[in-house]
Amino acid sequence: MSKILLSTRSLRKTYGKRNNKFDALRGITIDIHEGETVAIIGKSGSGKSTLMHLLALLDKPSHGEITLDGHPTAKLKSRRLNSIRNKEFGFVFQSFFMNSNDTVLNNVILPLKIAGVGFRERRRRAISALKTVELDDKRNNKANDLSGGQKQRVCIARAIVNNPKVIFADEPTGNLDSATGDKIINLLFRLNKEKGITLIIVTHDQDLANKCDRQINIKDGRIVSDTANDFEPDDDGDDEIREIVGDDDSDDWDDEDAIPENFEGDNNIDGMLDRRRHVKHIDIDEEEDD
Amino acid sequence: MRIIDIIHDANANLLRNKLRSFLTILAIFIGSFSIISTSAIQAGVNDFIDQQVDSYGGDGYLAVVAKDSMDALQGLRGSMGSNSGPIEYNPDKLQTGMSPITDEQIEKLKKVDGIDPDSIVKEQTLNIAYVTSKKTDKKYLIGAEALPPGNIRVELTTGNQLDLRADEYQILLERKYVDALGYTDEDVIGEKIKLVTVDEFTKKEKTFEAKVVGVIAPGVVSMGYSYTNNILADDIYNENMKRYPDEVKNMTYAIAASFDYKNHSASEIKDKLEEIGLSGMTIEDIIGTIKTFFDVILTVFKIFGFIALIAAAIGIINTLFMSVQERTREIGLDKALGMSSVRVFFSFSLEAIMLGFWGSVFGITVSIILGNICNAIFHAEGGFLESFPTFNLVAYTIQDIIAVTALIMVIAFLAGTLPARRAAHKNPIDALRYE
Ligand SMILES: Nc1ncnc2c1ncn2[C@@H]1O[C@H](COP(=O)(O)OP(=O)(O)OP(=O)(O)O)[C@@H](O)[C@H]1O
Ligand SMILES: [Mg+2]
Repeated sequence: MSKILLSTRSLRKTYGKRNNKFDALRGITIDIHEGETVAIIGKSGSGKSTLMHLLALLDKPSHGEITLDGHPTAKLKSRRLNSIRNKEFGFVFQSFFMNSNDTVLNNVILPLKIAGVGFRERRRRAISALKTVELDDKRNNKANDLSGGQKQRVCIARAIVNNPKVIFADEPTGNLDSATGDKIINLLFRLNKEKGITLIIVTHDQDLANKCDRQINIKDGRIVSDTANDFEPDDDGDDEIREIVGDDDSDDWDDEDAIPENFEGDNNIDGMLDRRRHVKHIDIDEEEDD
Repeated sequence: MRIIDIIHDANANLLRNKLRSFLTILAIFIGSFSIISTSAIQAGVNDFIDQQVDSYGGDGYLAVVAKDSMDALQGLRGSMGSNSGPIEYNPDKLQTGMSPITDEQIEKLKKVDGIDPDSIVKEQTLNIAYVTSKKTDKKYLIGAEALPPGNIRVELTTGNQLDLRADEYQILLERKYVDALGYTDEDVIGEKIKLVTVDEFTKKEKTFEAKVVGVIAPGVVSMGYSYTNNILADDIYNENMKRYPDEVKNMTYAIAASFDYKNHSASEIKDKLEEIGLSGMTIEDIIGTIKTFFDVILTVFKIFGFIALIAAAIGIINTLFMSVQERTREIGLDKALGMSSVRVFFSFSLEAIMLGFWGSVFGITVSIILGNICNAIFHAEGGFLESFPTFNLVAYTIQDIIAVTALIMVIAFLAGTLPARRAAHKNPIDALRYE
């Protein structure tokens, strides 16, 4: 069994103060192994993005602990923290986050620029990352002028350009048609296979979730189920079904019902991004068995 | 992140909002312009004053009169400058005119520690009726005196200093006489001009032919005087006084000397003179008041400059706060991608410093251009400095330019720290969520 990369113990996140207090996460305990592919699923507003941000060390939990490679992260030196964010993690944000007035190329270059990579080298690497997402012909366009799906691909290029150890992707296929979405998914899984990159993906797409080693289902800030997908028979014992305490009905979603049916008022912007859901997927197993 | 990238980004960010950056720079420009201009005027005035000091025998120049003479001068002026009332009449002392310096006092003066005995020269007022030359029929009044002692370098527009050991008559001619006597700056050197004295009783004229060795740049201290070498001065003086009894002839009212200003303070020397009944004035005493006057005016202007700079600093703070606000998401992204808080702080500070830099560069450039134009206009015909060719109203020194630029950049940096701190302390996720 590969070693544990990221683990959390009773992670809580409370937003706001006093009367506006809101518990987005209410005790999350998970272990993520090196090289694992993990899908985080759940309704809109359930706390998926919040959890991702904490795991990627972009935000601090209100309670609980996150360990990376066995080291507690709360006391990390800011230098080390920045280096982790820059070199070891790649993040695809749910709402892109690009410098919209800058060119596509410069957006992808940004992590390398922060890392202090030389001009020619970073250009070369950014172009190759853009090729991977099939957008190198758009490299001199303004980021703002791209379509939603293209923006998403730029963000993926930006996340992979630094050869990270872990990729966090918050709805990486949210704005893509099935064909493009599949390409991106295949790309991510190929990175996982070839380079052992750990994938942590938030998704509403059940097909994508099924392709991952494991699905963590979150509801109202709690884990309602943490299931290993069984399509890899050689997994040894540890990674079987890990149903979390059954006080919640864990059949909250199933294959056909991946659309969040009700958007809560306070996050309907996020909700709008979740619109596109029902897509028929090509059977990926065929492509991947080589 | 590399320095060059940070600088490049800071510049790009300033250019992103050109009008806003420009207005901020304009405010800094006003401050830097007034500070560098006042510094330049101050430097110009000081340069000029230094020239004057040099032409008076440098910092060691000492004018000595009898103490009674000084008291008399002050008495007549109602003891100006002191808080005591007018001085009372004392019948034992003649207090309305100059008192002579006795030979005894001169001997004592020679022994005062710090005074160079060889430098002591009795001041003789030369009585020259007029000056003329072979090139003109016109006769002009002229004031001339022996060159004061000490390490003298008279500011000249052309020619050389006097050769004090020469046994021919030499003169440094005040500039306005060059034209009048029918010469130009180019051809006057080496020419002989005629200094004519008139006997007070017989009205008989006597002519002294003096070789022009240099032309004096007009100044405030020389006051339009020409300088002769000692032999010419002595001969004219003797001619003037030939009918007076020796007693009167040898009477000395004023002495010029030089003292060792490097090892002795002026006040120490003055105290010693006081003990032997003499009173000394240094170059500082003579032109100190002019200097103080300029300094006061210029200080006032400088204060205005600083006030403008403070306003500009507030402009920088404002500009950068807006910029931090606008770029909240960008900062969030940078931090999420691993940019350190220090770098974020540094990049905003750099923007502030650049605003300061450009503001001061523009202010200094415009000031230098205008300053040189003013110098040219004032020195042109009819300009108010026409008769002072060596007086540059504005003088820019490298030190001043660097100091003003550095000062403004420091002020800009300090102003930038507030917004830069705010940017640096942003939490990446909160910043990214900012709409
Ligand atoms: N900065 C914040 N301040 C206050 N509440 C917040 C903040 N961020 C998130 N929340 C709340 O926390 C809850 C979880 O938000 P989160 O973004 O993690 O949901 P999500 O599972 O990613 O939803 P979606 O699928 O719609 O993206 C939501 O109810 C949201 O309103
Ligand atoms: Mg989300």
